[in-house]
Amino acid sequence: MSAVVQARPRNVTRFRIRPRPRPTELMLLALVALALLIGGASLGATQRFREAVNEGATLDALDFAPPDPRGLLVYLGALLLVHALFVLAGRRTDQVLLPAAGLLGGIGLLLMQRLPQGLVSQSFFGTELLLGQLQLFWLLIALTILTLLALVVRSDAWLRTYKYTWAAAGIALLLATFVFGSDVNGARLTLSIGPLSGQPSELLKVILVVFLAGYLSENRSLLADESTQIGPIRLPPIPYLAPMVAMVAVALSIVVVQRDLGAALLYFAVFLALLYVATGRLSYVLGGLALFLVGSVVLYNLFGHVQQRVDNWLDPFADPRGVGFQTIQALYAFGRGGLLGVGLGNGLPTIGGRLPIPAVHTDYPLAALGEELGLIGLLAILGLYLVVVQRGLRIAAGARDDFRGLLAAGLALVVGVQAFIIAAGNLKLIPLTGITLPFISYGGSSLLANAVVIGLLLALSDRGPEPPAVPTTRRRRLPGLRRRDA
Amino acid sequence: MDGFVLTLWLVRLLFLLALYAFLFMVARVLLRDLRAASRGPAELGRLVVVAAPRGEPPAGSSFPLDAVTTLGRDVNNTIVVDDPFASSDHAVLTFRGRAWYVEDLESTNGTYVNGVPVERVAPLGFGDELQVGEVRFRVDRGRA
Repeated sequence: MSAVVQARPRNVTRFRIRPRPRPTELMLLALVALALLIGGASLGATQRFREAVNEGATLDALDFAPPDPRGLLVYLGALLLVHALFVLAGRRTDQVLLPAAGLLGGIGLLLMQRLPQGLVSQSFFGTELLLGQLQLFWLLIALTILTLLALVVRSDAWLRTYKYTWAAAGIALLLATFVFGSDVNGARLTLSIGPLSGQPSELLKVILVVFLAGYLSENRSLLADESTQIGPIRLPPIPYLAPMVAMVAVALSIVVVQRDLGAALLYFAVFLALLYVATGRLSYVLGGLALFLVGSVVLYNLFGHVQQRVDNWLDPFADPRGVGFQTIQALYAFGRGGLLGVGLGNGLPTIGGRLPIPAVHTDYPLAALGEELGLIGLLAILGLYLVVVQRGLRIAAGARDDFRGLLAAGLALVVGVQAFIIAAGNLKLIPLTGITLPFISYGGSSLLANAVVIGLLLALSDRGPEPPAVPTTRRRRLPGLRRRDA
Repeated sequence: MDGFVLTLWLVRLLFLLALYAFLFMVARVLLRDLRAASRGPAELGRLVVVAAPRGEPPAGSSFPLDAVTTLGRDVNNTIVVDDPFASSDHAVLTFRGRAWYVEDLESTNGTYVNGVPVERVAPLGFGDELQVGEVRFRVDRGRA
């Protein structure tokens, strides 16, 4: 027997962990933990105090434990774990996105723990989970997806190359919902597979952005010139415009037929915004807005539920006990909140044992937060969305190439526009369209889709390996070189 | 009892305060980031060598771009492409307004953008691939 020492193959590089501290993220996460713990304490103490007052009992001391301390701690621990994983991975990615999204998710978790727990219940493998626990469960899954995307995605080729496949898959998913889906509140949005059910329109918003970014970055210069002329309107060459318009039109029409008006509005707004980002031409935006006005009038005359929404927006007091009930209750809630709010756990008086706003956990979380945190709190929450959008646009501005830039801008805008649409709907600035408030609303699909957005943004923000350090030793002068003619 | 109410009120305000403390710190971080970005040397773009069969310029090296950058075999070009298939004055990259353009200076073997030959002038986006002779470049955004 000959002892042959197997040499390590040279082309196999050892997987090395190079941790890289992320002090900004850690500092911001500490603030997030502090804020959420204070919020939990405020909520728990208020709830116990109110209970005691209602029962006529007197309290010896205030108990500042959060209503579900274990759930809150699990969430904070998960955030810290994600941070630790980011540090270990050593990628130079954005350090603000995780804390900002984490704080929004935490506020959502507090709200879900505060609402009546029986609002939603679902049993997984025999254990019954209630609203607060379900939201925590989805948040943890969302954080897992976010971490996976942020750590694993290094190349964007799989998004860029298969953009038509992605688009086809997205449309197929929507069609499947249309055919096999189940009706909830008169709209067919939910697709159920076994015990899991989800709303594919949430995921389609991400797919749409990927497709548009890929398409626009490829054909950007062609779309910027105007070779086709129809009357006074100058358009880019039709063959290059058609696939994109077709994709958006298909998505829009399915969504409109499904009565998911919020998603339709979101898709169209993101489409226009990305078109503007790619070509820098205001005329497209103006043309799109004109199309939007025409489309709205047509839809208003075509569909009864659109008319109902608009009429309810113009005058909710026409039917205060029926259609207008939720809208009016939300307005009252904002009014009760005032400047500083009534405090977590103090709002939402039930009417006859029932919540005044039945959809408070999905469509109206902002009304509940507006009542309990007041205008000041609402502005802080809107500020958090602004931070997410700013980070996205900043990542887009520093992106390596057009595809990554458009993708980052689109992902950030999809979150920003969605938050705007639902916030404006809650405040009766525009007709209410039922979409979720990103990161805060209850719901698995919404949380997962937004986790995908943040995960991709984190991956896109990677600034690559560190440049080599500047040599600290002084260079020696080259010996023996002397000008002869001097 | 009133003491409890007052304490609750203070904790409530403390929560709002914590939210704003977070926003304040974030704003500071963002401001620092923007300042750093605006301080850095402004580069209009960068040309990265993707593949060079003859190894000159070496693959992976990158050149910062001026508003006018000439490419060719002649030593007076901004970027000297020492390749037998490149003409001495091969192509010129220009930054006009907000976009890059490449102009082929009637070179013998032509200039290619993403594999398509350039006829006189062609627009160029970040991420596009540019071929001069047998050397392939990628146009990247400038480093901050």
